[in-house]
Amino acid sequence: MNKSGTLDAVDVVIVGLGAGGGPAAKVLSEAGYTVIGFDKGPWLRHEEHYSGDELKFQNRSYLWPDVKLMPRTVRSDVNSKARIFNFSPVPSNVGGGTSHMAGWTPRPRPSDFIFRSLHGDLHGASLADWPYRYEHLEPYLTKVEWEYGISGLTGAEKGAGFRSKPYPSAPLPPTRFGKAFYDACKKLDINAFPLPMSHITKDNALGREAINRTSFWNQYGDPTATRSSVATTFIPDAIKTGNFEVRANSFVKEVIVDDQGVAKGVIYVDEDGIEFRQEARVVILSLGSIESARLMLLSKSRRFPDGLANDSGLVGKNATFHEYIFAVGLFDKDFTDPLYGFTGNYQSGGSMEFYETDENRGHIGGGIIATTQIGQPINMIMPGKPSWGQAAKDSDRDFFNYSMKIGFILQDMPQESNRVDLDPDVKDMWGLPVARITNKPHINDTAMSRWQINKNVEILEAAGAIRTMPVYLGDEFTGNSCHQQGSVRMGVDPRKSVLNEWGQAHSAENVFVLDGAGFPTAMGVNPTLTIMAHSWRCADYIAKVYLKGRTEKTVLEPLKNLGRK
Amino acid sequence: MISKSEWEIVPLTIDPDSSKKLFFTDHEWETIEAAAARIIPTDHDPGAKEARVIVFIDRYLSGIDYVYAAADGSGFLRMSGRDATAARVSNEIFKAMYREGVKDLDHLAGEFGSKNFKESPAETQDRILEKLSGRPKPEPIRFDIHEVYYSRLQGNTDQDKTFFDTLCLHVRQGFYSDPVYGGNKDQIGWKVIGFPGPKSLKDTIDGTYTTDPYFVHDVSWPELLLDFKGVAVCKVSCATEGGVCCGKLEIES
Repeated sequence: MNKSGTLDAVDVVIVGLGAGGGPAAKVLSEAGYTVIGFDKGPWLRHEEHYSGDELKFQNRSYLWPDVKLMPRTVRSDVNSKARIFNFSPVPSNVGGGTSHMAGWTPRPRPSDFIFRSLHGDLHGASLADWPYRYEHLEPYLTKVEWEYGISGLTGAEKGAGFRSKPYPSAPLPPTRFGKAFYDACKKLDINAFPLPMSHITKDNALGREAINRTSFWNQYGDPTATRSSVATTFIPDAIKTGNFEVRANSFVKEVIVDDQGVAKGVIYVDEDGIEFRQEARVVILSLGSIESARLMLLSKSRRFPDGLANDSGLVGKNATFHEYIFAVGLFDKDFTDPLYGFTGNYQSGGSMEFYETDENRGHIGGGIIATTQIGQPINMIMPGKPSWGQAAKDSDRDFFNYSMKIGFILQDMPQESNRVDLDPDVKDMWGLPVARITNKPHINDTAMSRWQINKNVEILEAAGAIRTMPVYLGDEFTGNSCHQQGSVRMGVDPRKSVLNEWGQAHSAENVFVLDGAGFPTAMGVNPTLTIMAHSWRCADYIAKVYLKGRTEKTVLEPLKNLGRK
Repeated sequence: MISKSEWEIVPLTIDPDSSKKLFFTDHEWETIEAAAARIIPTDHDPGAKEARVIVFIDRYLSGIDYVYAAADGSGFLRMSGRDATAARVSNEIFKAMYREGVKDLDHLAGEFGSKNFKESPAETQDRILEKLSGRPKPEPIRFDIHEVYYSRLQGNTDQDKTFFDTLCLHVRQGFYSDPVYGGNKDQIGWKVIGFPGPKSLKDTIDGTYTTDPYFVHDVSWPELLLDFKGVAVCKVSCATEGGVCCGKLEIES
């Protein structure tokens, strides 16, 4: 194609082929609909483009977005000027974050879906229940675990929600630091277990070959099919149907909407800068919370002058980001066996003991802890590590194999003021305003950070650490977990939310936002498994109900015995 | 524009023993090599000098030919499009930064009564680097103090850093990155800290390189975990294909 123009209409266009877009592509194309999936980045092939090259993947941004090309800006309140910052960077390529993520894929808990019913209103926060519950999602969590490939130890998580099938793959054996973590947890009476991961191991029921045991894992592309990634599972499934086409290197700049508020399709720019119009009956946005909100705000029309489906003014608001914080423990090499902190597929044992609210801790909510890799040599993690000279060399030599880290995914409380909007000054390489993130932690976030990291320090001490280094949440989120939730909230009331329980815009019925953007609260678990299950559930609805010209409501039974004080 | 997925592999290799300079002048090469030797010094183990960190940095600064090794290490990727443009912009910044940085080191050497940085005694070189960094030379790790830290972004790019911090990072990268990039000669850096490391990048693709022996294989989950008796399995299958689960799983010992 050498000139711009309008292309033949299809049933569905999906913008963004990561954790949200992948399952939707599979479900809709398998249901017989014609689907085009757009991604602004390239379509890299695992067997051709990935290997254990630390410099390339961790330091030279082979997969990380280049902040010069795709900048974001951040500020702590509306009165400050935003600065350019690579906030919550996620790879921009087919597969998105699933191409390189460590891949913790624990299930959410039933309590995550009724967070406001459990806690009431929290001053300064905008707590809300989800418009569906754990039991509505459970069948889809199971589908994802089996079709995508998740390793876990069924029955080891105390307090888990019910499940209809065991995990399809066994976990990896523990690393040395994993064993130290399990031993310490046992000593402290903490329920620890191998956190479910999006990879398969030798012992799996999926017929895939698991040969990557290099420990080059978090932030690396996996050259084998050991890691479950959207690019190696759902996308090939969709292509097999003959109904799905990938348009990589294609940047969608606008959703076209007619005067009645019906989306007609999208306008995109291909890799040579040529603009096209692709029409469709359904438009699915799954760019991740930040970019989905941005594209909606960029898509201004006569019907939606403030951005697509933004009648409530809530598009971009109530965003949550899951700061990753941790504590590191150093061990004495003369008295301990090596911990080999470079080994494993990032995490090697975690706990949800501190997941549910216990008000004695001085905060509500909680999250997941896990012991995680110290890293490979260049990027070994030691807070305050000497940067040069003999002390630097000694600290590498003494602690590379004698330190361990226990991380925490901080469940931040939604606040209307934590939001995504369009930066008035900074533009990206396509010349469009970039996403500006305004955020400030809630007092509950800060309290949770203190309490949990101090607990992690206690576990490190129980494991025998001779020095511990706590890393808390500071005055601002950095987006360092790359988890994105909220920003285009789901709910039952169109005045208080943008989307309904199917991820469908209240005021633009053929627009669906299928990523973490709809999540009213952040959950304490890593969002990817939930994003995939949510997308699958909503895509099922599009295929079986919406595109058949019908509607359906999710029935929410009254909640009983919540035990609220 | 050639998509990143189609970037060609150029069959370039880097000889770590090469003294051929692609970017530095002789003086700059010797100055940066001397500075690198203070950043990761040689003691009873090799340091930056023996690892040929200088070759690593020279090749990286030479342009955009040595930014990304091919996945299997058979050469380097020929970057294209916007990525190439961005990489060239960064490269120009680094070139200017190092040119100026060498001048600064020599200028500071003058303040300490030396002719230039590279010919200063090691002790003076440390004072110069200390002054350049604006911070005291790092002290050994202590066990009797408690310091707290705050979270920051993952990853560690060399963007937007001072010359000193860039140099420290590049030296570290040259000491520990895969030898395909010209440093870490004979995996010297890896040996110093006890990282096994693959013989080649290709070995990380085909299953040849494995860290399996470093895992714990002689302990079972019920021994290790507090509340775990055995794998729970579903023996009812009421939830096949979208049905509602009864939630009853049985422990299989």
